[in-house]
Amino acid sequence: MSDVQQTVEVLPKLSSTKKKKPVGFYLSATWIGTVVFLAVFGWLLPTRPWDSADYDALGVKPFSPNHPLGTTGDGYDMLSGLVNGAKISIFVALVGVIIGGSIGTFIGVTSAYYRGMYDRVVTMIFNVMLSIPNLVLSLALLSVLAYSDENNPTTTSRRVGVLMLSLTIVVVPILGRIGRASALQWAGREFVLASKSMGTSNASIIIRHILPNVAPAILAIGFLAVGSLIIVEGSLAVLGIGVPGGASWGSMLANGRGNIAYSPHEVYMPAMAIALTVISCNWFGDYVRRALDKRESKI
Amino acid sequence: MNWFAEIYKRVIGIAVVVVIATFLLSCLMWLLPGDPAELLNPSAPEGAIDSIRKEIGLDRGVFGYYWHWLSNLLTGNFGKYYLGGGEREVSEVVFRTLPVSMQMILYAQIVSLSLAIPLGLVSAYKENSRFDRIVSTTLFTMVSFPGFALALILSLVFAVQLGWVDPIGYVAPSEDLFQHLKLMILPVVSLAVGLTSSYTRLLRTDVIATLKEDYVTMAASKGISNRRVLWKHVFRPSSTTILTSAALNMGGLIGGTIIIETIFVIPGIGYEIFYAIGSRQIIAMQTLIALVAFAYVFFNSTVDILTQIIDPRTRERRV
Amino acid sequence: MSSLLKIDNMSVSFATPRGNLRAVNDVTIELLKGESLGVVGESGSGKTVLSRATMGLLPGTATRTGTITYNGQIISELPKDEVRELWGTGMAMIFQDPMTALNPVRRIGAQLTESLTVRLGMDKKAAKLKAIELLMRVRIPDPESMLRKFPYQLSGGMRQRIMIAIAVSCEPQLLFADEPTTALDVTVQAQVLDLITELRKESDMAMILVTHDLGVVAGHTDKIAVMYAGDVVEYAPTRQLFSNMKMPYTEALLKSIPRLETPTGSRLPVIEGRLPDPTKNEPGCPFANRCPYVTDKCRAEKPPLTNAGNNHYYRCWFPIGGEK
Repeated sequence: MSDVQQTVEVLPKLSSTKKKKPVGFYLSATWIGTVVFLAVFGWLLPTRPWDSADYDALGVKPFSPNHPLGTTGDGYDMLSGLVNGAKISIFVALVGVIIGGSIGTFIGVTSAYYRGMYDRVVTMIFNVMLSIPNLVLSLALLSVLAYSDENNPTTTSRRVGVLMLSLTIVVVPILGRIGRASALQWAGREFVLASKSMGTSNASIIIRHILPNVAPAILAIGFLAVGSLIIVEGSLAVLGIGVPGGASWGSMLANGRGNIAYSPHEVYMPAMAIALTVISCNWFGDYVRRALDKRESKI
Repeated sequence: MNWFAEIYKRVIGIAVVVVIATFLLSCLMWLLPGDPAELLNPSAPEGAIDSIRKEIGLDRGVFGYYWHWLSNLLTGNFGKYYLGGGEREVSEVVFRTLPVSMQMILYAQIVSLSLAIPLGLVSAYKENSRFDRIVSTTLFTMVSFPGFALALILSLVFAVQLGWVDPIGYVAPSEDLFQHLKLMILPVVSLAVGLTSSYTRLLRTDVIATLKEDYVTMAASKGISNRRVLWKHVFRPSSTTILTSAALNMGGLIGGTIIIETIFVIPGIGYEIFYAIGSRQIIAMQTLIALVAFAYVFFNSTVDILTQIIDPRTRERRV
Repeated sequence: MSSLLKIDNMSVSFATPRGNLRAVNDVTIELLKGESLGVVGESGSGKTVLSRATMGLLPGTATRTGTITYNGQIISELPKDEVRELWGTGMAMIFQDPMTALNPVRRIGAQLTESLTVRLGMDKKAAKLKAIELLMRVRIPDPESMLRKFPYQLSGGMRQRIMIAIAVSCEPQLLFADEPTTALDVTVQAQVLDLITELRKESDMAMILVTHDLGVVAGHTDKIAVMYAGDVVEYAPTRQLFSNMKMPYTEALLKSIPRLETPTGSRLPVIEGRLPDPTKNEPGCPFANRCPYVTDKCRAEKPPLTNAGNNHYYRCWFPIGGEK
């Protein structure tokens, strides 16, 4: 190797080791923190009830004294709606990622560890699930499982339940494939073989040695997945088959579309709430990934 | 021959994925509460529902039903819609709507690639400069901006408030090209923003790697301009990933058009998928989803093979 | 003969996370028209940086000081665009590894004719004819079909010939050859070097040959600069250097050349120890830790460049052959 190459190779690290203030990190962490806080403790706040209309204030513009973010054309308070909507939007996405991610990680990691027929079947099923776009898959699941007509209407809670189920199913192959790919790298390492030769059981090798190494990658992608599930929830609502009655951000936005001409804030408030949350999740996930990359490169 | 074996393997793979995906869908349909035949056309008289049931094989159990659908599909019979003003052939709907969606996807690809290629090249060439940092941050924010939120805000601002274009509708290019393009602006921009961001990021990463190659220094040492070095020597070898991703999106975007086509009321295949699912037209739904899944895995496999042709280096590796 | 290239007090350093890395220290070298200079040293000695810095082919993190005069023009002060005008037509470079220095996705013809059409303004037809002639000059059989090939279809020796053809295509006055034979088979090495020397003689081209192998420079250069840790430690006409070596380091380099008569299986004598850390500025002679003749003075004080007469310079307190 020539001298120049040796010297040039150290250069790219220059930018990453330079201490820059991660403004984006703090911004995204703050926003995620706020939204999660509102989702959990929002009902304690002295806001107006989100589901009862104020008929004296229809379509009030934002920044008015009684309704800081305005009201919808039907007189519902936007601020209360957004605070309440955070609950379902965040809850649904988090549950989907946590449950779906756990199932996917379990399947992916075990299939990478045991290989053979099991692995081939799992890989095949993941490929099948990934070949159908997220939105189409959750649409199909929702339309079948939360089926309703005039005679037997589905309740909101059933819809939320089915929504969570279909989002969970969407997440399984995404994180499953990441988990499998990452576990494959670790399953062949010396310390795993060494542990095997000591007679350690497969289960405890997976739990003690492989999972801790796979977890960081899953965590980083998990944040991105929360973002994309919030988008799926919003999309489903816009298509008119999500959570009804303005109970989630997506649902508020879908309801607001009808009034778009005279009270546009009904659309852009929930749209911005969704966008900011998704952007924050992606930023945060990206910082997690970069921090892990740095750790990896030190090994 | 090596190539034939490779293609043969791929074709089998595609077939297996599509068959399993659609079979699982059939099983899902079986779970529908109520009678699927009745759902297909609730307003039909009793006798008609029986004949529908026979026609689509619902009386033969889930396997018989699936086999009936699959063998029909393979012989070119895509099935029917039974709702909404008489029966419509799914094949007719596909031929009518697929070109509309493909137009939109193609425009979005052209717009995003023609923005992403210069942006990616320049920001990689000026790595860590102010320009690069601004572009990177902006694009990273844009790529995480939900497509439907962007579509709604764009239509709110440019169609409703400013009134520059109509908020909804579609006109075929053969009818009125100008009106066609005008109506396509907002949906195409909504699709293209996310694509531009991801393409630029992919290209930037690859170009940064290519710029460290000896042959780039070698090209520069010929005394040719930086612009020529970037276009002639750096772009081609760095373009594999971005082209792969663009080709994959041809398949993947069909699903992504559902929301855009619904918001802007464009009669494309995404809208038809949504309609079929929403009105529980199980045959149409199965056929359309099979097409989407097929498109996805087909492009996926073709791209793998194509990259070996585009990039001589991968040929070298095979030898 | 008149001076073609003059490098005065050139230093090059790189900004790295660990601090400033000094790659070249205060080097002064002169090259006449048609003359050939060998720059010899271990990897990490700064010889490649020296050649790239002279041409101006350094990454943005590098800082270069000193004056470079080319054909009477001070090029170290010129803006980058004007320096670029000299590349290819005035100064050209042959790179070390022909496997990585040819663009893998472009045909040989496109890479070879690029300089001809872009720099010399030839039309396509003339450029193609010239390219065929160039390929014949570097002894490539069936040049016409060669133009249509991709680099991956060629052997290392062939690729190196192509690279030489590209470098000499615009008839530069000064050729930089950066380890042109290191990546090649032993049997091909000699052929390639002879080819370069022949091409040089034909058009009176000067050359700076960068290598780690003293054996390579012996037959192909007029003078030699030995580099160690960024310093030129010995600088002399080739004959003078081999007959009257002053530096213990040059001697150690000479001993590390593999010879045909060395019995197979016996270990090559290598220079013990490692180069000093280029980011630290330690006192004393940089070679002190590895030198068989080291004294306390060597560890305390860095020796200056000393003139031994006959254009022979060295940097040592206790040169070989006495005379304190």
